[in-house]
Amino acid sequence: MHFVTGGAFNGKGKWVRQQYPEDTAWFSATEYDTWPAPDEALNSIVILEGLEAWIQRELDRSLSTNILLDRNMNKAEAWLEWEQNKDNRKLVLIGTDISKGIVPVEKESRLQRDITGWLYQRLAAHAERVDLIWYGISETLKK
Amino acid sequence: MDTGKLIFITGGVRSGKSAFAERLAVKHAREADTSLHYIACGIPSDTEMQERVKRHQRDREKSGFTWRTWEQPVHLSHIAHQFTGQDVILLDCVTTLLNNYLFQEETTDTKIVADLVQEDITALCSRADEIIIVSNEVLQDIPYEDKLTLNYQKVLGHVHQKIVKRANLAILVESGIPLVKKGRLE
Repeated sequence: MHFVTGGAFNGKGKWVRQQYPEDTAWFSATEYDTWPAPDEALNSIVILEGLEAWIQRELDRSLSTNILLDRNMNKAEAWLEWEQNKDNRKLVLIGTDISKGIVPVEKESRLQRDITGWLYQRLAAHAERVDLIWYGISETLKK
Repeated sequence: MDTGKLIFITGGVRSGKSAFAERLAVKHAREADTSLHYIACGIPSDTEMQERVKRHQRDREKSGFTWRTWEQPVHLSHIAHQFTGQDVILLDCVTTLLNNYLFQEETTDTKIVADLVQEDITALCSRADEIIIVSNEVLQDIPYEDKLTLNYQKVLGHVHQKIVKRANLAILVESGIPLVKKGRLE
């Protein structure tokens, strides 16, 4: 799994498209409201774009942060498993860094930042490769 | 077309990006024995902004080098002809320029705004020897729900990407320390 992060509108998607020009299936949060589920019929490079948006939609103030984190991690793990099941599969995750603003007034937004940060840490730990994109320029954080 | 060197410097609020940019501009102007120009896009509309402007002016005076200041909130391309091939220009900053186009001039079409900023930069590059552009890091915040802010971030992100692509040197300043993202800092 390859995890790609960086600020909003920094060209993360564009960079990934350059790295993986063909044989890709894109699942973007602009089209999918919630985490898409893996499809065993897919045998290619799968790109999941907009993790921060899917995390936001999983938010539920009545649940504990641990449960929310696990819930998102489970969705990601289903894809990690999909990737493991066959050699010709590859998973690329794109998540926007939302961690460097002022502490939000709304509890839900604070929760979103927490869950997103924790999930990214876990994903980065799992990943074979991690890249940080800054206005189109990549910096490999892990390989 | 012969174009000048483009240097992009960004960072968070009070990261020391302006001070770093000013030091770099002074150093280069001194080495090349040329004139220093400062393009100020900020409109001192209230006392807080006046304070900020004054602080930056005092800092520049301390540099011991004479700056020529151009107060130009928009359409920097209109003053491009004032510069010559040896000049070093410091533009501080892109976010203010963008604000002025969007909210003072009320140009709502984001594509037009992005093009206008590009046009300004191209015009300055085609005249001066070196242009140093300062901007802000504001794209790592929680996503905004309102269209206005989201649109603003989108244009800013695109403008930054274009500037970085074109830049000979791109630097992110963290707590006063320059991190070179593109090119080499000599």
